[in-house]
Amino acid sequence: MRITHYTVCLIASAAFSMASTVAQAETVKVGVIATFSGPNAIWGKQFREAIDVYVAQHGDQAGGHKIEFIYKDVGGPNADASKAAAQELLVREGVKYLAGFDFTPNAVAVAPLTKQAKVPAIIFNAATSSINKQSDFFLRTSFTLTQLAQPAAEWAAKNGAKKVVTAVSDYNPGIDAETAFSATFEQNGGDVLKKIRMPLQTTDFAPFVQRIKNSGADTVFTFLPVGPATFAFTKAYNENGLKGAGISFLGGGETDETTLDALGDQAIGLVTAYHYSDAHNSELNKSFVAKLQELHPGSRANMASVGAYDGVELIYRMVEAAGSDGAKAVEAAKGMEWESPRGPVKMDPVSRTVVQNVYLRRVEKGADGKLFNQEFATVPNVPDLGFNP
Amino acid sequence: MTMPVLSPPKPSRVHAVLGVLMPSVCVLIGAILAFLMFPYDLSFLTRIVIMMILVVSFDLILGQAGIATLGHAAMYGCGAYMAGLLALNVTQDPLLGLLAAALAGGLVAWLSGLVLLRTHGVALLMISIAVTMVLQEVASQARWLTGGADGLAGITIGPLLGLFEFDFIGQVAFIYSVCVLAVILVFCQILIRSPFGLALRGIDGSASRMRAIGTPVYRRKVTVYVIAGAIAGIAGALAAQVTGLVGIEVFNFSLSADVMVMLILGGAGRLYGALIGTLLFMVVHHVAASIDPFNWLFVIGLMLLLVVFVLPKGLVSLPGRVTRLWRRA
Repeated sequence: MRITHYTVCLIASAAFSMASTVAQAETVKVGVIATFSGPNAIWGKQFREAIDVYVAQHGDQAGGHKIEFIYKDVGGPNADASKAAAQELLVREGVKYLAGFDFTPNAVAVAPLTKQAKVPAIIFNAATSSINKQSDFFLRTSFTLTQLAQPAAEWAAKNGAKKVVTAVSDYNPGIDAETAFSATFEQNGGDVLKKIRMPLQTTDFAPFVQRIKNSGADTVFTFLPVGPATFAFTKAYNENGLKGAGISFLGGGETDETTLDALGDQAIGLVTAYHYSDAHNSELNKSFVAKLQELHPGSRANMASVGAYDGVELIYRMVEAAGSDGAKAVEAAKGMEWESPRGPVKMDPVSRTVVQNVYLRRVEKGADGKLFNQEFATVPNVPDLGFNP
Repeated sequence: MTMPVLSPPKPSRVHAVLGVLMPSVCVLIGAILAFLMFPYDLSFLTRIVIMMILVVSFDLILGQAGIATLGHAAMYGCGAYMAGLLALNVTQDPLLGLLAAALAGGLVAWLSGLVLLRTHGVALLMISIAVTMVLQEVASQARWLTGGADGLAGITIGPLLGLFEFDFIGQVAFIYSVCVLAVILVFCQILIRSPFGLALRGIDGSASRMRAIGTPVYRRKVTVYVIAGAIAGIAGALAAQVTGLVGIEVFNFSLSADVMVMLILGGAGRLYGALIGTLLFMVVHHVAASIDPFNWLFVIGLMLLLVVFVLPKGLVSLPGRVTRLWRRA
């Protein structure tokens, strides 16, 4: 019992001394919870490299405080590990900001902790709208599926698509994308002929592609997780004659920069609606990509990189505005606007997800023989349309 | 003719009681020391304790009865979902949650065990993996019930025994998990020493001989599978209550595989082996992952290789091996 009191006193006094020195310079620790090992390690790698780039460009000082990043691996979608990591970061390391979160369950698991400790958690990727409802301390610098699927549907309806088949992976993000796309597409006068849900684990898409072909649609809207499924689906799209039959492809993250070259020439011409391409034409993006190449040769910037880069930008601004006072920092972040490598972004004060441009892009082959996503149309300032508080 | 093999020499009563209580006492002493030495790592320590419960339950089937499966996550996951759903819809009492989870784990073990345990070897491994994958797919599809891939969120647990609130640092969660582990260890020790436990050891040694002396081998196997399933369900429930979220990852193959690795590291067939293996695996994993979050898997792999080559019976056999080497020298 004595020890219990002792520990509580210790933490209370630590918290008190922190609070009393808010105005002075201190080291503000940021705990980055992400996947650095196993089959999903690409997320953690992209996060860390983008953070390196930001720190190399802007230094490790914000508002007179030194910013220090502490990385914690959770090895994939793993709620238990994520919560334990957050608890350790908060209690032992005394972090004032949490960041990272590649998978939805990992973010949702820390929601109660962020509320209890009043620590802002910046989501670099996890894209389910409902996450931000779980805690007022969540801020998201990535995107939500509705944010992408809805503009995609509007654009398709305006650009000649009449009859669409949706083909999505059968799990929550896929269903979210399907729902948002079909509702918007029908509102805009189009027809959704079929809603196909494909098993998450499958890599044999021939039967689904055949159903799409037989449906008589002119466009297929698809959402698949980046990885083998995307590879197999685009292959089936080409080989089973969908392309030949004149059924156009409309996707989202399928042509992600980190897997684009593996898709090969079959990817050329695929159209996707997304919020970031590493070929985005702006000075800031060029310097971001160049610095990434310099620090980590062979790496390519993708949506995870830009999510992390903007997340760090947001953390720096929050530290400048409020030091390590979490509640004040979240208030300060609401409505913040800044220039990101993806274009202008603004922190929506209600949904706490960035408002951003959604670009329609087509895969092209560059002069260096590398494939890239060429932006050709812009839907400006899209908020998280799926958020209902 | 006498049958000395299956009737161990009768030890004194005091000895028997001590033997039953020993692992629990060790765990309690270790837990108190850990609590005092690492007051800031309680959430991690709680995860170790929960994993110990799961590995101990796996020891009952692999270590005692020699049934090798790769689907232990099935019962763990069902327990976790049961506890989560109970807390969300019926009652927030943690102990009732454990009870319901034990029933859920036992039920799933019984249903799957009826089929599983008619097979052996590779077929058994494969079907046990399949059961887990089917359950994962069900959890992923039944979004209205489980929240699908987003997980079952918003689980809040009432105070333990109506008195102790689960706190931010995780003190109550840790003490709670340790107490559950201690109770389960006592139960397992009694089980292992009972005639039923001896029958399991016999089945592990030679199922056909056991059948020849009249033991209903299949029924014994199903029974131990159900008991282990119930305990695995309790482990899942603890994880759900402590984390406050259940994701479909509770059914991941990697969890079943990790459980087997931990048991083999420590030494199958001994409860101490399950405890030591879990502790070592989790601590090495944690330390290596905090030193190098990117390449730590290498250390785990190396450790497993070393143990399997040098100490095929696990770390618990280390003292015996050393003394034997010593005598030879």
